[in-house]
Amino acid sequence: MSDDAGFYYDGSEVHSGLTGRLSRAVNDHIRLFLLGPALLSLLVVFVYPVGVLLWSSLRETRGLTNEFAPTANFARMFSDPSFWNAVERTLVYSFGSLTVTMVAGLGFALALNKVVNRRVRDAYTTLILLSWAVPLSIVGLTWQWMFNGQLGVVNRILVDLGLLSEPVSWLGNSLTAMAVVILADAWSRIPFATIVLLAGLQSIPQEMYDAVRVDGATTFQRFRHLVLPYLRPSLFVAGLITWMFAFRAFAIPFSTTGGGPAGATETLAIYIHRFGVQLFDFGFASAVSLFLVVVTLVVAAFYVTRVLEGIREIE
Amino acid sequence: MDTRRYRRRQRVWDLLESRYVVHVVLFFAVLFIVGPLLWMLLTSLRTNAAVYDLTYLPSNPTLQAYHVALIERGFWRAVVNSVVISSVSTVVVMAIGTPAGYVFSRYRFRFDNLVFTFVLLTRLFPPIGLVTPYFRIMSVFGLVNTRVGIIIANVYLWLPLVIYIMRNFFITVPNALDEAARVDGCTKVQAFRHVVFPVVKPGFAAGTILTFLYSWREFLFAFTVSNDLSSMTIPVATYLFVGDTSVQWASMAAAAVVATIPSALVVLFFQRYIVTGLTGGGKG
Repeated sequence: MSDDAGFYYDGSEVHSGLTGRLSRAVNDHIRLFLLGPALLSLLVVFVYPVGVLLWSSLRETRGLTNEFAPTANFARMFSDPSFWNAVERTLVYSFGSLTVTMVAGLGFALALNKVVNRRVRDAYTTLILLSWAVPLSIVGLTWQWMFNGQLGVVNRILVDLGLLSEPVSWLGNSLTAMAVVILADAWSRIPFATIVLLAGLQSIPQEMYDAVRVDGATTFQRFRHLVLPYLRPSLFVAGLITWMFAFRAFAIPFSTTGGGPAGATETLAIYIHRFGVQLFDFGFASAVSLFLVVVTLVVAAFYVTRVLEGIREIE
Repeated sequence: MDTRRYRRRQRVWDLLESRYVVHVVLFFAVLFIVGPLLWMLLTSLRTNAAVYDLTYLPSNPTLQAYHVALIERGFWRAVVNSVVISSVSTVVVMAIGTPAGYVFSRYRFRFDNLVFTFVLLTRLFPPIGLVTPYFRIMSVFGLVNTRVGIIIANVYLWLPLVIYIMRNFFITVPNALDEAARVDGCTKVQAFRHVVFPVVKPGFAAGTILTFLYSWREFLFAFTVSNDLSSMTIPVATYLFVGDTSVQWASMAAAAVVATIPSALVVLFFQRYIVTGLTGGGKG
């Protein structure tokens, strides 16, 4: 059967011979045939590693020991202040990025929505999308380079404008380093939030605006009582996904500061990577991973319920 | 009294909404997004020594930093690796994920919602959690420092996403189309391939473009699986500059520009597809 044979076969031609029997078998088990490869792949590339993760978390692997000790890693994790510090930093990081991303994303989307000319709006959208497409390690390296204490362009501009009398070592101070990392993270996530929120804004029917205008609502009232309710699902999706991805972020903080100075920007992901990949302490890294997985999945459950509710609406 | 205050407030809002303000906001938005990229480009046009000049524009623009990064360091091989890995990953993921998305959009079967929830969970599962297992599995199977290893990781990372996106695109196609094709004598596979699939071709394009971009920008697994020139990707190679005792900033910037140009081109040419893909194919 050639590709462009189209669908003009009559039944008898399809159902004769070996290929015919094969195609009938496929036809009878269409779900298995189309879904099988995907589920089989997920079994190999996802379920199997998850099994390894669960198994390793039950083994103590510090130093040269490697033995079954089901509670050792979890006990160590919950009693280790360095773990709780990493949790705290990850919360600061993810909520910091969420705030910056959503505020900027909403601002950008509201502005884009006001641009009437479609070409102009597309041009702006394209330019705003650029930072999303930048490879994640390049995002970190870019911000590291811009905020370099000695050679960075940010210091140069601020000194030239007279806002700083001398260069600041942004990445050498734990507070400013965290701020820079959050900014880099948000820089990479704002386009996604903007796109999702813009789509939400554009789903508001023009008649609704007209109706509200007839009612004599002020701009603020319009925003509060028309735009915001319509935008709530988009705000939910954009915010949840932004937070979830910031919570697990590795590449951006790792390539901006490497977790420094003195661990001040070491998120949970970098913490896991340090133990699992650099120190070969698989057991402990797996236990911390499971903590991160559980937190994420609890939050993700809200999202999944939303999606499944959406399915019910479609049916 | 009250109406007057109302009007005054409304006038402030009208000003905020005026065309000029909108374009000023968008100007700063673009400056914020594009500025850092421009600065990398300007840095890459200097020599590694000229970085210490502290001028805004390179006095003698040169491509020497690119020569150092790509030829002397041999990072052109990382570019080739990136192209191969991203392309193969995209083909594999789309080939497996598209039919699966179709099934989820059409057929009811036992535990179908459960299976779909499983796919959603694999999509939302934090990849960092699987880095340690992958690191070990890859070494057991001899896949460390191989392109195949990174491609396998990419299948894990993007297959669930593609299944989800493609399902959303297929849902927009009415069931009646399949049924009409079946009445005309199509097998179920033919109905999928020759009738429904052509309708979602724009969605398929969006999925392909997204998968390619995601594979291209991926760092965590590429970095964990490979740090050898025979298989590492260009984002990983660029990162290696920072490990030097004396960082060659201009060459780092040059490698970064090389790593960013393909992404940027894809965005410039396929902006609309990316937007539909990111918003989930219209549903969900």
